Amino acid sequence: MLIDRGLETIGRYFILLGKVFSKPEKTSVYYKQTMRELVYLGVNSIGITAIISFFMGAAITLQTAYNTENPIYPAYLIGLGCRDSIILEFSSTIVALILAGKVGSNIASEIGTMRVTEQIDALEIMGVNSASYLILPKMIATLLFNPFLTLLSIIIGIFGGWFVGTQIVGVITSEQFIYGIQYAFIPYYITYSLIKTVVFAFLITSISAYQGYFVKGGSLEVGQASTKAVVYSSVYILMFNVILTQMLLT
Amino acid sequence: MITVKNLYKSFNGKEVLTDISVTFEPGKTNLIIGQSGSGKTVLLKSIVGLHEIDRGEIWFGDVPFNKLGFREKKEIRKQMGMLFQGSALFDSMTVEQNVRFPLDMFTNMTMKEKIKRVNFCLDRVNIHNANHLYPSELSGGMRKRVAIARAIALNPKYLMCDEPNSGLDPITANLIDALIKEITEEYSMTTIINTHDMNSVMEIGEKIIFISEGIKYWEGSKYEILNSTCEKLNDFVFANSLAKQLIRK
Repeated sequence: MLIDRGLETIGRYFILLGKVFSKPEKTSVYYKQTMRELVYLGVNSIGITAIISFFMGAAITLQTAYNTENPIYPAYLIGLGCRDSIILEFSSTIVALILAGKVGSNIASEIGTMRVTEQIDALEIMGVNSASYLILPKMIATLLFNPFLTLLSIIIGIFGGWFVGTQIVGVITSEQFIYGIQYAFIPYYITYSLIKTVVFAFLITSISAYQGYFVKGGSLEVGQASTKAVVYSSVYILMFNVILTQMLLT
Repeated sequence: MITVKNLYKSFNGKEVLTDISVTFEPGKTNLIIGQSGSGKTVLLKSIVGLHEIDRGEIWFGDVPFNKLGFREKKEIRKQMGMLFQGSALFDSMTVEQNVRFPLDMFTNMTMKEKIKRVNFCLDRVNIHNANHLYPSELSGGMRKRVAIARAIALNPKYLMCDEPNSGLDPITANLIDALIKEITEEYSMTTIINTHDMNSVMEIGEKIIFISEGIKYWEGSKYEILNSTCEKLNDFVFANSLAKQLIRK
């Protein structure tokens, strides 16, 4: 029974993806939709990403300083630890988890409301591929914009670490921190982080859209779909984080 | 013309439509009447392909609609307009954007031409100076009229209306009925209306089918409905006390 339902869900998910990636009816309309979603899902997420990244960077710096108090560790390790933690894990995975909450619930509730108020049926009756029209622009927008958010998060996170570590608390000097963030830098880490971001963006959009698209009932069920979108997206992000790390870093 | 032949539809093993056969004629207002839960909406949604049917045939003119693939169905759907029970206007778009949507999607008209067409359709349904309002800023009757304007934007051959009067006061309901009838005759559309409103039946019921528990019991016109010998239909038609008193007199 559970296996049947699981297989049915997987089947429906891939059938939905098939519909999403079929040829758009009118490219110009999809282009406008994508631009709208870039603002709605991307630009509007800059604020939350910046705030989280700043405090995340600050906390990582203070924690690293606390754990490397022993004089045998050079002070620049604080900057190095802050840089690598942010690039490898926090700016891609933690920001993705935050965006799963913000963007994922947004997508699921928007599409779910359109489903229960028959707006999706109205699209279908007009001859519009509703799955493609509603989901593809969101997917393109997040796939294009989330890497930018990750880069922004890296910059702001490291700045947050520097600012709090050197200017506010004073656990390290500015020179040592800057030396640390330049020391043994491996550019591939950025690529790794961006690859993860793109995969996570796809997971957030597709899982949330699936939850919204197949909702049945009313406002209560839309709320439940929104919750499921966040929970499932988060679980799959963490699962794929392990898989991608194994694939890309070992 | 839309022809339905021996249509069966079930959900989770429970049959909700049984052996429905009917022809809906162009230029006429064809009504499907019946109690709530009788299967009217399922029938309408099955006809337009929103529900996959179990058995039977649905013909749009000489095209076997239910046998078509996804892409072929889309082509037929471009000739359809549908008015939903809750209007189903896109709530993040203005009135003008709602009516313009099918034109944006399926025509190569210039913006000027599209606006002209939008204004014509809105004018046709007596909506004025509301182009930049959102659906949430409109009354129920206005929303229905905007939905009709959107449905006729592409000059459809088929118009489907699912309970167009639900939630409206009797005067507005009459206006919507009259509007649908006028548009049907003007564009010679095949119009199907789901309703349980007897006033609509007597106003615009040129062809009526009555269904109960998913079975078609009666077919006729508004002139024949009051003299029907179908017991289930009479129970439905004369359900309210006013009708009963009139019959007694």
